[in-house]
Amino acid sequence: MPGPVLIVAASDDWPTDRVVVALESRGIEVFRMDIADFPQRLVLSGRIDQASGWTGELATEQRTVDLSRVGAVYYRAPGAFRLPEGMSGPEKRFAAAQARAGLGGVLSALECRWVNHPAAMARAEYKPVQLAAARACGLIIPPTLITNRPEEVLAFATESGGQIVCKPVASLVLIEDSRLKSVYTRRLCPEDFADLRGIDTTAHLFQSWVSKEHEVRLTVVGERMFAAAIHAGSEAAHEDWRSDYGSLTYTRSSVPEPVAAGMRRLMKRLQLRYGAADFIVGPDGRWTFLEVNPCGQWDWIQGATGLPIAGAIADDLQGVT
Amino acid sequence: MTTPLDRDAFPLTPPGGRTPYSTEAPSGPQTRPWALRFARVPDSTQAARVPAHVFDHDRQVNVSDDGGLLTCMANTHTPTVPDGSTTNPPPLDEGPKD
Repeated sequence: MPGPVLIVAASDDWPTDRVVVALESRGIEVFRMDIADFPQRLVLSGRIDQASGWTGELATEQRTVDLSRVGAVYYRAPGAFRLPEGMSGPEKRFAAAQARAGLGGVLSALECRWVNHPAAMARAEYKPVQLAAARACGLIIPPTLITNRPEEVLAFATESGGQIVCKPVASLVLIEDSRLKSVYTRRLCPEDFADLRGIDTTAHLFQSWVSKEHEVRLTVVGERMFAAAIHAGSEAAHEDWRSDYGSLTYTRSSVPEPVAAGMRRLMKRLQLRYGAADFIVGPDGRWTFLEVNPCGQWDWIQGATGLPIAGAIADDLQGVT
Repeated sequence: MTTPLDRDAFPLTPPGGRTPYSTEAPSGPQTRPWALRFARVPDSTQAARVPAHVFDHDRQVNVSDDGGLLTCMANTHTPTVPDGSTTNPPPLDEGPKD
């Protein structure tokens, strides 16, 4: 019997529910926790000595898991530590740092199958790292500029025939003025270049516009690849499909072998077992890599296409690929 | 100070959530990041509210009021369509970051 699967995810991460159900239906023991459970709902007791690696347990009111028996960990966007009320600010910061290094350190040290290991995820989340790795792995990437120098933007636009996009290097949402705002990929027009004040305030990412017939969300789980073609039904979605989900239609797709081989190399290089990659497929059929998110959403793709992603994640956690 | 341990060893959603609430207004063109000129309030007309649910600690899954499991993306089928609610920011297609 394989060891239990430890799931570290936000309790309101509904896609993770599906992974829990898939594993339990196979008779696999599951211990699900959110980092936010610590220290008030979750107890850690870990020991290490010369004779053995980390042993001990994680426990909640409902169940306990023996650290030394954990066979795999599914790590997906857990919440922050929820510390006791009444702590001062300095106490909270101290306690959070101790919790991170203590609980986070013990978990990170577990030598088992990870989907994905948090250290690998943290590094892979940097788009510049992804682009460099994708290029090294033989995938086609768009010419890209990251800069805070306005004149560099003009030069890049000229080199690209004026056909460039601007997109956030990191998170695309913010709340200001009490309103939620998103910054989607923007195909720039000549008027946008008239006033470049603010470029120098931070890093900005620009890419050459890539002509697209459609896009593909390629979900990679272990050795398996699930390709969903995303067809935009509006101008906004053609520019950035995230901006108009209502107009999208999805079909299952296949992956050209050179792209699949490149993705396998990329996943290995980034030390990821799960990744949600985005590609543009041009009118000529060429696949251009945009990014791979180590924690990308997958549930709606499964819902729209029937691609068995939850089952594949369960397979991979069991070591069945 | 952020240390390599903080950054790399165990990434977590920051306290206050990935998208902290703010009443601050945008600054001026000299100091506002240029990319934010294209920030817009999402079209909430397409958004579907997440149904009422609770996390069942015994079953380790979320259940809706009728006791059933939530369906695709919590019954919304529109996973990352922001509804504009600042208390319910969209799930981001990326991992936790500080």
